[in-house]
Parts: sequence; structure tokens; C-alpha cells
Amino acid sequence: ISDTSLQSKGFNLHRSITNLNLHHLNSIFVSVGFPQRDISKIQIALENTDSLIWIEHHKTKGSPVAFARATGDGVFNAIIWDVVVDPNFQGIGLGKAVMERLVTDLLNKGITNIALYSEPRVLGFYRPLGFVMDPDGIRGMVYSRKKKKK
Amino acid sequence: MLSLHLLSSTSSSSSLPTIVSLNCCCCEPSNHLPFPNTNLGFLKVKRQPKVSNLKAGFWESIRSGFGKNNTIQVIETPSSEEEEEEPLPEEFVLVEKTQPDGTIEQIIFSSGGDVDVYDLQALCDKVGWPRRPLSKLAAALKNSYIVATLHSRKFSSGEEGNAEKKLIGMARATSDHAFNATIWDVLVDPSHQGQGLGKVLIEKLIRTLLQRDIGNISLFADSKGTKMRPRS
Repeated sequence: ISDTSLQSKGFNLHRSITNLNLHHLNSIFVSVGFPQRDISKIQIALENTDSLIWIEHHKTKGSPVAFARATGDGVFNAIIWDVVVDPNFQGIGLGKAVMERLVTDLLNKGITNIALYSEPRVLGFYRPLGFVMDPDGIRGMVYSRKKKKK
Repeated sequence: MLSLHLLSSTSSSSSLPTIVSLNCCCCEPSNHLPFPNTNLGFLKVKRQPKVSNLKAGFWESIRSGFGKNNTIQVIETPSSEEEEEEPLPEEFVLVEKTQPDGTIEQIIFSSGGDVDVYDLQALCDKVGWPRRPLSKLAAALKNSYIVATLHSRKFSSGEEGNAEKKLIGMARATSDHAFNATIWDVLVDPSHQGQGLGKVLIEKLIRTLLQRDIGNISLFADSKGTKMRPRS
């Protein structure tokens, strides 16, 4: 889905958090099942994010309908987080649009190791974008504090 | 957001004989032993402001239990119940060993991120990682939220000023400073492997992250756990 095609449908694409309404972003996160997060923390997270892409509809400026961001060290590795599409706008290729652009931006920065954590039910979304599960047997692991409960 | 590969905690290394974490489950932490005062006497380390706050008595049994010729002074404990409440100092002595010939070796942990890229590249060479451009290494370090290092300092007793300092371990984490952190590039000099230093590096790194309220800590590991990070 090209930039012109997006624009013709009334969608604008952004790569910075200027004019991004964080409250609306947070409500989209919640609407797709993410835990409710502190706005001030979201602000900090976005300020310390290497790359991000969001799409708005021109009629609701500032309110994102699709979003994705990537953190990393800026040279070798990046992890993509918080990929969301407003449920009212799903199914028309906006998720794919943000992901394709985010990945391209990262590759253009020379970052070749791009990873993400995915729920099993959306593997089919990431695979056509070029993501491979557990390449070479490498597994993602997450620190669990539950193990340390006394 | 669930992780597809959600697995157990990161302390999955095989049972290695260690100095630092030995008996950490068996010892009862006691605040009454005079450990901090008596044993710090001959340390003479100048910038360790918080060493005296560390848990007392933990390693008394380790010292007596060690049959080696070395005298080993373990200054810091890797895990204890109160650990998460006490702020971790930025730099402290992890282990101190006295060799039979009188030379003292200290292993120093630091989360200050002061790494010489040349030292780092040499260390990467030693563990067999592919060469990466120095400028990129420097940028990666600069863009990392925390860079934890282990240095070895060797000196003869009484000659601390002439200490020879060597980078022997590193781990770094990138983060958005609020929610997520990812650990990359964990490495320990082969000459110092097998002592639990990698484990300590990760534990300290995690502890620092948790104290900064970063709740989601992730990493990528290969199945053997021998290479802990993809070497891009």
C-alpha cells in the first residue's frame, strides 16, 4: 500500500510524536487488549524510541489509527513493540503499511537484526512481512519475577 | 502483549562451580556478624561508598569452606531477600582473591558504562565473535540504556596504585526507559569463564533495570545457552 494510496484514502503518515495524542494512543492500546499504561510513562517510552510510525485519518487529526515503534541501539539491533491498529480500521492494510515502513526505515539505518515478540494468533501477520520464528533455534526469553516470590 | 517464547527465568546456566553464588541459598543472612568491618580493612578501595551497606556474614562459610590455596574474599552477594530494596551502587568490588604469591585480583562490577571500545573489541575477539566496526560498537554502547562491565584489577599487596585493569566481561541493555528493556551482547573472557561471572552480570543488570522500574526485560538466547546473544 503506497504513500499516495494512503493519502488518497485520507490517511496521513507520521514518523515523529509531534501532534500525536497520547490519550488516544493509550485508548487504542487498551481496545486491542494491552494493559492500561501511565501516560507519562508512555511519553518517556516514546521519547526514547528509535523509530516510530503512526497513521492518522485527516478527519481526526492527532488520533492514531495505526501505530508501531522500535527500540534498539541504533546500529545493530532493534525490537519492534506496540504494533496496533484501531479495531475500527482493521482489515484494510494499515498494520501492514506501518510495519513495512518501520522495517524499511530500520534497514535503511543499517540495522539488520530486527526482532519482535508476537502472540501466536498474529504470526500470520508478521510472516509475510519477512519475519521468521526462532531462526537458528534462537529463542526469546522474558524475565519473570514470579520465580522470586517468597 | 504476550511473548511467544515466554520461558523460565534467565538463570538457566548449567551447574558451574562458582565463587560468587555458591551457597547463596544455604546461608542465612545475618546482620550481626562483623563482616563488613573486619574484612574491608585491607581492601583500601577508595571509591566504594556503599560497600559497607552490603549484607553481612553471607560468605563466612564460603571462606572457610574453600579448600584452595587462594584466600577468597567475596564482598558482594548476588542474591538475597532485601536485594531489591537496596539501591545498587554504580561500581563495586564483586570478588577479591589473593593468590599464593601475594598478588590480589579484584573483579569489579560497574554499571556506569565506561568501556573502551578497543578493549571491547579485543574481548569480542577472544570469545570468537565476528568483528564489528569500532564506530558502530561505540554507537551501540552510547545508545544502550545500561552497559554493565566486569573488570579485573591485579596488583601486589600494598601497590594498589599500580593495578593492572582489564575488561573481562560485559552485558548491555537497550530500553525505552519506561516499559521494556532487551539484553544484548553478554560476554565473559574465556580466561574467567566458569566462575559464575556471566550469571552475576545478568543478575546485576536485571536488578538495576528493575530498580529503575522497567518491568519487561527480554533477551534472545540460542538453545545451548553457550552463545547468549545473536551476534549481528
